[in-house]
Amino acid sequence: MRNTIVERSAQRITESGSNSAESKTQKSSPRFFQFARWFRRTGWRHCVAVVACCFAGFPILYILSASLNQQGTLMSANNLFSHVAIDNYIQLFHLPEQPYGDWYINTIVIGLSTAISSVVVGALAAYAFSRLRFAGRRVGLLALILLQMFPQILSIVAIYLLLTNIGYIVPALGIDSQLALICVYLGGALGTNTYLMYGFFNTVPKEIDEAAKIDGAGHARIFFTIILPLVTPILAVIALLSFIGTVSEYAVASTVLVAPQKQTLAVGLYAFVSQQFSQNWGLFSAGAVLAAVPVVIFFLFLQRYIVSGLTAGSVK
Amino acid sequence: MIQHDSSPSRKDIRKKKQANRVASQASTRIGTMLIKIVLLGLVDALSAYSAFMLAEQGNWIILSIVVATTIVVNWIYFRRDGLVAKYLTPGLIFLLIFQLFAICYSTYIAFTDYGTGHNSTKEQAISSLIQSSQRRVQGSASYKISIVECGKTLNFLVTMPHGEAQIGSEKTPLHEVASATKDDAGQAVSTPGCSTLSFNDLLSRQDEVTSMRVPMSADSQDGTLKTADGQTALVYKSLLKYDAAKDIMINTQTRVRYYDTGVGAFTSKGGSRLSPGWQINVGISNFRQVFTSQEMRGPFLQVLVWTIEFSVISVASTFVLGLLLALVFNNSRMKGRAVYRSILILPYAFPAFLSALVWQGLLNEKFGYINQVLLHGVDIPWLESPALAKIAVLIVNLWLGFPYMFLVSMGALQSIPKDLSEAAELDGANAWQIFRLIKFPLLLVSIAPLLISSFAMNFNNFNLIYMLTNGGPINANTNMNVGSTDILISMVYKIAFVGADRNYGLASAFSIIIFIVVAVVSAIGFRASRSLEELN
Amino acid sequence: MAVFSKRSIVAAAAMTSAMLVALTGCGSTGASNTNASVSAGSSTITVWADADHTATLKSVAAEFTKKTGVKVKLVQKDMGSIEQDMITQIPAGKGPDVAIGPNDWTGLLATDGVIQPIELGNMKSAYQKVAIDAFNYNGNIYGLPYSVENVALIRNTQLAPNAPSSWDDMATTATAAKTKYPYLLQVGSQGDSYTMYPVQTSFGSFVFGQNSDGSYNAKKLTVGDANGLAFAKWVQTQAKAGNLSTSMTADIALSKFEQGQSPYIITGPWNISAIQKAGIKIAVDPIPSAGGQAAKPFVGVNGFFLSAKSKNKLAATNFLTTYIGSEKVQQALFKSGGVPSALTKAYNAEAQSDSVIQGFKKAGENGVPMPNITQMSSVWQYLNAAEVSIINNQGDSSTLWNNMADSIKSSIAKQS
Repeated sequence: MRNTIVERSAQRITESGSNSAESKTQKSSPRFFQFARWFRRTGWRHCVAVVACCFAGFPILYILSASLNQQGTLMSANNLFSHVAIDNYIQLFHLPEQPYGDWYINTIVIGLSTAISSVVVGALAAYAFSRLRFAGRRVGLLALILLQMFPQILSIVAIYLLLTNIGYIVPALGIDSQLALICVYLGGALGTNTYLMYGFFNTVPKEIDEAAKIDGAGHARIFFTIILPLVTPILAVIALLSFIGTVSEYAVASTVLVAPQKQTLAVGLYAFVSQQFSQNWGLFSAGAVLAAVPVVIFFLFLQRYIVSGLTAGSVK
Repeated sequence: MIQHDSSPSRKDIRKKKQANRVASQASTRIGTMLIKIVLLGLVDALSAYSAFMLAEQGNWIILSIVVATTIVVNWIYFRRDGLVAKYLTPGLIFLLIFQLFAICYSTYIAFTDYGTGHNSTKEQAISSLIQSSQRRVQGSASYKISIVECGKTLNFLVTMPHGEAQIGSEKTPLHEVASATKDDAGQAVSTPGCSTLSFNDLLSRQDEVTSMRVPMSADSQDGTLKTADGQTALVYKSLLKYDAAKDIMINTQTRVRYYDTGVGAFTSKGGSRLSPGWQINVGISNFRQVFTSQEMRGPFLQVLVWTIEFSVISVASTFVLGLLLALVFNNSRMKGRAVYRSILILPYAFPAFLSALVWQGLLNEKFGYINQVLLHGVDIPWLESPALAKIAVLIVNLWLGFPYMFLVSMGALQSIPKDLSEAAELDGANAWQIFRLIKFPLLLVSIAPLLISSFAMNFNNFNLIYMLTNGGPINANTNMNVGSTDILISMVYKIAFVGADRNYGLASAFSIIIFIVVAVVSAIGFRASRSLEELN
Repeated sequence: MAVFSKRSIVAAAAMTSAMLVALTGCGSTGASNTNASVSAGSSTITVWADADHTATLKSVAAEFTKKTGVKVKLVQKDMGSIEQDMITQIPAGKGPDVAIGPNDWTGLLATDGVIQPIELGNMKSAYQKVAIDAFNYNGNIYGLPYSVENVALIRNTQLAPNAPSSWDDMATTATAAKTKYPYLLQVGSQGDSYTMYPVQTSFGSFVFGQNSDGSYNAKKLTVGDANGLAFAKWVQTQAKAGNLSTSMTADIALSKFEQGQSPYIITGPWNISAIQKAGIKIAVDPIPSAGGQAAKPFVGVNGFFLSAKSKNKLAATNFLTTYIGSEKVQQALFKSGGVPSALTKAYNAEAQSDSVIQGFKKAGENGVPMPNITQMSSVWQYLNAAEVSIINNQGDSSTLWNNMADSIKSSIAKQS
């Protein structure tokens, strides 16, 4: 209640403030002051944004330039865009031993499956931690996060042995199975992500559940039809994080996936430059540029959920 | 369902409401139940299938685990209570199978000497030793052979250099054969009473054939015939002999005896070892080595300090930059935010370890883009000087890591109720005060856990170090293969996978220590941030 | 379980039927799978190879299968992961029957007991001696060689029409041709003592002493002698003159040569096709001496290893000795990888028709086999690090070189 009053009065004040400012600027030298006001409010933000974009973007430009350069060495890209040819991009899809097209599809399929499954599995757990009261709840949550901190490099051998043995029993889940890789990734679904979701679940007032419960809704219904829609933004964030994490994961993917046509982009691309005597930076850069496209699209697609989905009012 | 449609009395409305509720409840119940049944059916089908396979293989221990797990899972989902288990089981199953197994396995390995020369069982080591100790007798001939089966034993039907045929098996040394049919090339191919193996027969029994040793004569000094391809045989003498009864390896030439002295390899009285050896349990000696070995302690401490610096600075710098940008963009009046955001997210969209490779090129002292173009041809030894290499690693990690913090801060800022800051504005607080006193504390509540786990992730940020500097520049004055930008995990990698003396057991011990350090620091961090408590 | 309601019983019944449906599906595929594996298990060999060689091996495998009925499962792997994966997988009863790899893995793989000797019998003499020696470890031949490679001096014939008579001659020619670099010698941030080894040997500095049979003697460490110090001093002088730099990676050296910024580059046959594609006319010469003695490059040999746990030893051996070892296949592998064959007959044929190969052959004539003993990896590690710090001028060359020799000595002492 108090908040709405505050809000209303705040609104009134900002309105009157801006009115007075406008009337002032109209009196004297309107252009300069308009600019100054614009700069103070949003203009400087653009300056920061441009600087940040330069920092974030120049290595990317460099990769882009290298990808358009046929010379195949990285340093030849120093004169940005001195050669522009799309040969690398064309060649990328005509290598019989390096099926780039397959890698691309695999990466998207594995990435999306992992992202969606992680969100579902993580949200289920987060709901339990947020809404249900049970012994060992806090310790359990902490343990989940801490378990994910085990250094992964050495788990590779364990995962290899495990999948080999599972493969004797269920061949579809053995080494060289993409399904098995997704399962391994799901092993990390409970952890930081769950914690992030847990925090957001907590911001959804319990009264909503209780009201639904009084209306006779079962726990599953409350979870899927009431709670989940309210926490869409965090689900989108988790989906994006886990998609990106999967797309750029190398160590496990390179161990589990053996056949070239089953591998992911990260594994395949690395092979272009891992051999000192047959490095091909042109192909590598072209492949990396294309690899970034789905991530960017996925981000753009989820952006509105991430940024504007969670307005404070709707949850209160 | 609702039959009477008279004028709506209060009672009727209540009834209707109730009926609706029951109906909708029932329909969702059936819907969820169907999904539940299908999913559980799949799980049960999978485990029933694996149970059959396991039974066929006679693997009863795993079989009982699978059956027990399946029963528990079904019980969890069919009973009315136990909501917690219903929500946690899907994630926990994957966690238990993949994460926990890896941790348990590493822990087990940490107590063994698994590594170069100690990577299999004793049985395999013996067979490897015997396999590689076969020496061809100098100057001996190569014999054309056919493999024939007489009764139930396999024999070599050998064409001797002068054309006569001899026959022998593992038990009976070579001797004249009464009569043998020869092919056009003069090679004996069959003999009465025995059937000759075709090439396909050979392939299906190749293990048997290639392991055959046919003595040349009753005198063992003459050596044995052995074939690798089923067509030609050569004379070998074994340099090593294994005496199973006494469990000793004997060198047949020098007569030196090698004993199993419990060090995971056959060892002579003089202390020389045969390799390969086998994997044994070494107790806590790997852990002891981490803390007491003189030559390891120095590098270990140096690396530990840098690892902590690296992860703390990385978290701080990425968070500050990410948050700053999120704040800058947290203004609905600003135009073009979507474009900026998409550009800022780009570093995150490229697989991190691939970008690290590109940065290595960018930072090249004489030819890199940064020195050559951005800084107009200066020679800054970014990756050559120990101090600058550390700075370079931090800059690259800032580039790689700030988009994550940007995303997370952006989300968290949205969740802070606007009216709070507006109320403060009303009270005359300036933007900085609003941020410091209202937004930041609230933000920290939801982000602190992420900062802690980001610390843990950077603590183990192997990809960056491996791809960018590979730990270098190497300090030429230490004996360990450790460079000035090596963090603990990249050092562990070098111990386990690089060089001729790979020590997987020691590396596992290291990784467990790292795990404990990270977990303790993080647990303290969680405590300190009190985020768990506050959110309750 | 008294709480089982009617609903649960219905559900259980429904689930059983769902399970049965799923089971029948799995069951049928499962059965066909086992059948297939029974007939294939006895006669399928698994071969690991890198991307450069899979295409050639595919056709070899097809021919092999046609002739013998043995199926070949060709697995394309990243060269960098083959060695470690063999060590991890073969003891677990998995992994390949046959795997491609360079000869310097031999010592480690044999120490780990994951490879077994290949009996070449009388065919040994058909291969170049250096190729067989390279796979000789403790008296056994552990690999079937297919190619032999060494670095040589590649000369841009437009900038330098004649082969240099000495190391300094290169600088004279380069000054006359007005190129930026007298010669290109890759170092990289991690060091590259392999490419630099011919220069080092021209000072009379070797890593190990050799036994009478040509194998290396890890107990005779000679790297720290006076010749080595002379070489170290030379390296530092060249670095100060700007001729050697850790910024000069393999990638950059190649592109500088392609841009005509130097008449000379020291590199191996693997880069020839790229150089020719860039339109540079080249000749291949022996590396001139910088220290007064003959420059001896390392001769590396690539081959195929046979797994110690192969269940198809007979078929795998047959595949290696009669197929991979044939002149036809060796030449096909040369065509796909650009590195000349190990089989003498094939090698001579290649050298006859190709002046570039002839040049490499001549440069490698006094080369020394790439060591395959496990101790070599400590040598690489410390030698590379020492060269990097000398080039980056991080101390007195003699001190750094002596430190390196001590480190190698203590590291080897620890291993045995």
